[in-house]
Amino acid sequence: MSIDALVAYVVERLPELWLRTGEHLMLTGCSTLAAMFIGIPVGILLFRATYLRGLLMGVIGILQTIPSLAMLVFLLALLKKIGALPALIALTLYALLPIARNTLTGLEEVSAEVMEAAKGIGMQEYQQLMMVRIPLAAPVIVAGIRTAAVVGVGIATLSAFIGAGGLGQFINRGLALANIKLILLGAIPAALLALVVDFSIGAFEWGLRPERKRDKKGSVQSLMRRLAFMLPVALVLISIITYFTKPGWISKSATQLKTSHRIIRIATKNFTEQLILGEMMAQLIEAKTDFIVERKFNLGGTMICHGALVNGEIDLYAEYTGTGLTAILKHPVISDPEEALNHVTKAYHERFDAQWLKPFGFNNTYAITVREADAKKNEWNRISDLGNTAIELRAGFTAEFAERPDGYPGLRQIYGLRFGEVRDFDAALMYEAVAKGQVDVICAFATDGRIAAYNLKPLKDDRNFFPPYHAAPVIREEIMKTHPKLGDVLSLFGGLIDNATMQRLNFEVDGKKRRTSKVVEEFLKAKEIL
Amino acid sequence: MIKLTRVSKTFDGGRSYAVKDLSLSVDRGETLVLLGSSGCGKTTTLKMINRLIEPTKGIIEVGGKDVMDHNPVDLRRQIGYVFQGIGLFPHMTIEQNVEIVPRLLGWPIHSRRERMQELLNLVGLPAESFAERFPDELSGGQQQRVGVARALAANPTYLLMDEPFGALDALTREALQQQLLTLKNQLKKTIVFVTHDLHEALLIGDRIAILHEGNLEQIGTKKDILDTPATKFVQDLFTIKRPDTLT
Repeated sequence: MSIDALVAYVVERLPELWLRTGEHLMLTGCSTLAAMFIGIPVGILLFRATYLRGLLMGVIGILQTIPSLAMLVFLLALLKKIGALPALIALTLYALLPIARNTLTGLEEVSAEVMEAAKGIGMQEYQQLMMVRIPLAAPVIVAGIRTAAVVGVGIATLSAFIGAGGLGQFINRGLALANIKLILLGAIPAALLALVVDFSIGAFEWGLRPERKRDKKGSVQSLMRRLAFMLPVALVLISIITYFTKPGWISKSATQLKTSHRIIRIATKNFTEQLILGEMMAQLIEAKTDFIVERKFNLGGTMICHGALVNGEIDLYAEYTGTGLTAILKHPVISDPEEALNHVTKAYHERFDAQWLKPFGFNNTYAITVREADAKKNEWNRISDLGNTAIELRAGFTAEFAERPDGYPGLRQIYGLRFGEVRDFDAALMYEAVAKGQVDVICAFATDGRIAAYNLKPLKDDRNFFPPYHAAPVIREEIMKTHPKLGDVLSLFGGLIDNATMQRLNFEVDGKKRRTSKVVEEFLKAKEIL
Repeated sequence: MIKLTRVSKTFDGGRSYAVKDLSLSVDRGETLVLLGSSGCGKTTTLKMINRLIEPTKGIIEVGGKDVMDHNPVDLRRQIGYVFQGIGLFPHMTIEQNVEIVPRLLGWPIHSRRERMQELLNLVGLPAESFAERFPDELSGGQQQRVGVARALAANPTYLLMDEPFGALDALTREALQQQLLTLKNQLKKTIVFVTHDLHEALLIGDRIAILHEGNLEQIGTKKDILDTPATKFVQDLFTIKRPDTLT
């Protein structure tokens, strides 16, 4: 890729980059601030109340060991909300430990001699703390804040999983689309941001140093110091302002927003096909209705999308019948596609006030897939053919597949298969892993474009184990009631996309690295829907 | 006046005593030196006077009132204290260090400023070149002079000095001792001065109290102690270590 093309690539995404950077800084800044307001008093409390130390530091330490994603999902379940709030809470909890611990350490390390002098000249307890102990501990406390903030920049990339935005959104999208440029578009600014945050808190510390008292009033030095002192606060303020008032040149729909307040929020899970379907629904609704579409794409999985829909955080996303049946409703597998759709439609209406619309047409079920060359050599055509050789094979599954009842556990039961080794993979990396021979078997998605592109062979499900996975728009009934036209518009998709078409669309984006919105636009135009 | 009546202090519930059954008094305007080797109880005695340590038994009176009836914070603000390790606040300038007690007492800023300049000049550190420096930019001797200035800032009646010159080199020590003698005559404070240095004790003290393992061996003027040592310990102290210059 030439430099010009690279520059153009970045320039084109500059408005969004600005927006995401602002979000990222807001998440990091606000959570670090919140952690300061909690962590410093906690540190002071622990310094005074020795008996609480073991307990509280233990609790804060345990919080730190919870994996970030688990924490996000847990908070999501607790708050019943996606977006910035759970992300901020998670980031605040992570920032607590370095701040509270450094506060405690800093206070403890102040020399006993100086403290005796403070007491001996007649300072009250609180004066000893405020005038001597805390100022002397300040550099250590600030170092803790610095650690918390820099680590926070890193952790904040995960917030995109629950729709909180930030630079992680590029990274997630890049991972979902196997697009390295997009990953870097998130990762490089995040790294730079970490440096900026580190520098600004360093500047703050310099502004806080006792030597400031010697600066001449009104001198350049004293002005610089004041500016340095304000730098982190200024950064956080700018980010908050960017967050709440998206400048006009960023949001194309800003002017439209004034005339119409009807917004529909469309979500997707974090893989290519979902992004395509989400974009398709978005473009159609934008073209055929006067709704403003808010794209909440790339949420981190089924449970997050479903939870958001039920809590009214989003209005619409594409779900698969098999997933709705087994993962959401915890119902045993129904092999008949029609019956499966009827069952989820009825259950969603009764339990979640959500409606299943006409399926798109394709069946994105799991397909146990091997390299075509291996299949030829060993005469593998059906899953049963793997039989006893399975124990010599290495399997690469998505984490979801490895645990779901309609995944590996069920497969073992029905076919009696035992693979020699099972490794967890991101869905996007699985295909490459099998193509390169790092694993021998994967749980491919039947509509993935890479099956054909990488010369892979899906084996026939001869015992009808995998349930049907027909994708269909799932929408909140509340919005359907007020705008029944939405149903008519979305039903234009009914039966429109077969497996081969979906494979092709997926490959356009995954394999050829084309922009999702372009691919979708072309497709809709070709079908004369737009 | 400072008066100790049968004061004892134990840190281990009575198994051993840092100070045992000590009675002495310091007259107004007098300098009393507490002399003894380390662990003899002299610093403990000093700290009990401003309640940094509280006595196990006995009564300590400052200005005719039991220290236990004083509010400890108010008591300490009335008593200047020069610490063994100097104990200046490293994050404050010299000016702020000297002003700290007047500030705690709520003096208006211009009287604080005036007092600070007066004191820095008194201890030989001109305010214009020292006021805005930080303690770590000063030599040990200069720091200790600031310590003395800080102790004197609120014009206390009493001054407690805990081996103030112990950590200084011999030349600086001698200069400061001479300066203290001048100050002492000028200011007429009631001073309790702790040291383990015989020479310093004889030079500075109007009277000297010799402590050994928590007990008072003898209290008296230089002449009393040299001419009529009360115990064998005192006698040995001076026959072995008595500097020729003092005879």
